Amino acid sequence: MMENAPIIQTRDLNKYYRGAVDFHALKNINLSVPTGQFAAIVGASGSGKSTLLYVLSTLDTDYEGNIFFDGEDLSRLSKNRQAEIRNEKIGFVFQFHYLLPEFTVLENVSLPALRLGRYSDQEIEARAYEKLRMLGMEEHALKKANKLSGGQQQRVAIARALINDPRILFGDEPTGNLDSKNSAVVFDIFQQLKETLRQTILVVTHDTSFASRTDRIITLHDGEIVSA
Amino acid sequence: MNFRKTPVIRIAFTHLFAKKRQTIVAMLGVTFGIAIFIFQAGLMSGFQSTFIEQTVNTTANIRIFNESNRNEPSILSRIDTLKGQWVVVRNQKPKEEQPRIRNGYQIISMLEKEQEVEGISPFLGTQAIFKLGVAQVSGRVSGVDIVRENVLFNVEDNMTQGTILSLQTIPNGIILGEGLAELLGAKMNDNMTVISPLGVQLEMKVVGINRSGLTEVDKTRAYINLRNAQKLMRVDGSYITDINIKLKDIDRAEELARHYEKKFGYRALDWKEANANIFGIFKIQNMITYLIISSILIVSGFGIFNILMMIIYEKMGDIAILKAIGFKDIDIRKIFLTESLVIGFFGGLLGLLLGFTLQKIIGSIKMDIKGFVSLEYLRFNSSAAFYVFAYFFALLVTAIAGYIPARKASRIDPIEIIRSK
Repeated sequence: MMENAPIIQTRDLNKYYRGAVDFHALKNINLSVPTGQFAAIVGASGSGKSTLLYVLSTLDTDYEGNIFFDGEDLSRLSKNRQAEIRNEKIGFVFQFHYLLPEFTVLENVSLPALRLGRYSDQEIEARAYEKLRMLGMEEHALKKANKLSGGQQQRVAIARALINDPRILFGDEPTGNLDSKNSAVVFDIFQQLKETLRQTILVVTHDTSFASRTDRIITLHDGEIVSA
Repeated sequence: MNFRKTPVIRIAFTHLFAKKRQTIVAMLGVTFGIAIFIFQAGLMSGFQSTFIEQTVNTTANIRIFNESNRNEPSILSRIDTLKGQWVVVRNQKPKEEQPRIRNGYQIISMLEKEQEVEGISPFLGTQAIFKLGVAQVSGRVSGVDIVRENVLFNVEDNMTQGTILSLQTIPNGIILGEGLAELLGAKMNDNMTVISPLGVQLEMKVVGINRSGLTEVDKTRAYINLRNAQKLMRVDGSYITDINIKLKDIDRAEELARHYEKKFGYRALDWKEANANIFGIFKIQNMITYLIISSILIVSGFGIFNILMMIIYEKMGDIAILKAIGFKDIDIRKIFLTESLVIGFFGGLLGLLLGFTLQKIIGSIKMDIKGFVSLEYLRFNSSAAFYVFAYFFALLVTAIAGYIPARKASRIDPIEIIRSK
């Protein structure tokens, strides 16, 4: 595969919300994200930016057109195969951290790797520690997830997203719940991931200062890409 | 619990521990369901087998007797040449005859050669009035050869006073049922009078008191010598009305009864047919019992359903993220099915234990019931089959109760949850 071959590419992607009156949420999206790019999707609320992210990340499968992810046509895959792809090749960071509150930080970070079942127990633990170290959360590894602050929880969520070395990291307003200091930390982490690991990152955000510092800004307006 | 190997199971246990009180309540639902199941089924079955035992002990395996007044088809219809033609005989009456078994002793000696037969007792029964002083009670006398009768019905074991052998040694001895003796106010060695429907009076002496356990029988029955019974009936020494048979295998009673009926030309009634109405009652009784038990377990199923739905609503976010990070629908289903089965498993085990304990406790309390049958203690049937069945049923109910929420959880759309936060 070429160095900057697209990791994700759409062809004539359309999405409708069916109802009494159909709502055309995504209109003829033709988008390509090359490997290693740190891109931001921006747009007013209701412009369809989150919808686009969910469709691209296999969480939403109700669309028309094609999405090619890492060479595979997503629309042709079964639900279970899509779950496997999410597990193996996709990392998610949402606005809310969604850590399991009763489990330790280490256990939370390990979960996707346990599901994947590719590594031994020791390897999983080592990998989890490695990710936590990278995010400066190593000393909190054995704490319960609900004992951390909001910024710390988001960092743990990022570690969880990275545990299986995903081909792409999706962020859905990853700084939406954070203060400016923690937002800056999260941005720096993403930047660092891109630079050191050539991690492909696609982030939906309404934070313009965040977006302006990424490699590429994809602007959506009423379900259409107006600039990419 | 090893988290690494079993994240699904570990998550399930975490949910249960997070809702300790509700989990315990749901578990207790299963526990009580099972305990009542074990207790009730054991009680019913124990009672029924006690009753059957006592009934079998007082009913002959097979009873051969002369069923008179049977409306037989007209003799004319047996004539071959009249086949296909109308035969009308009006006002046909059975021949007037005594309800005796002719050649009774010959039949007995033939039966004695049969492999399957363990004991045979000739019998002559009649209504009678028992008189002691001013007390008069009507009942039935059973004229028997007491030694033979003992082989069939364990009369000696049921004697509360005296011994059956006195009936042989004392020519005018009588053994009264416990209830009958009470009604008469009769005590051992009292002299009393027995009057037959034919007006024959015999002076007799109480030589024993007997308790079969069936209240109705004990209130009416008295044993006397066959010879004395024949005197009461003013008949000869070969006159008997019934031949009672004990078999080596009581389950063959039905088949052998048909065989003897053909062989001897008299009616042969097996113990199952004789007590058919009781078995019918047992069937209904069992049906009601199982219906009640099932509804209790179904109610506990609702308890499990309830707690799982609560957990699901509370853990929507967990379910959404698990799905987002690649847990499949079946993994999510496993989490909640595991939870319901854990409740069923431990609740059920506890229930088996509780049911067993209840049986032991209640079974050790002296009851002295005198009703349909007389019992000192309640008897429970603690057959393993009940425990296995109850446990299996509990797991089935919990699996069904867990399956519906589990399916619901697995169908949660993560986007809906994530969007709404």
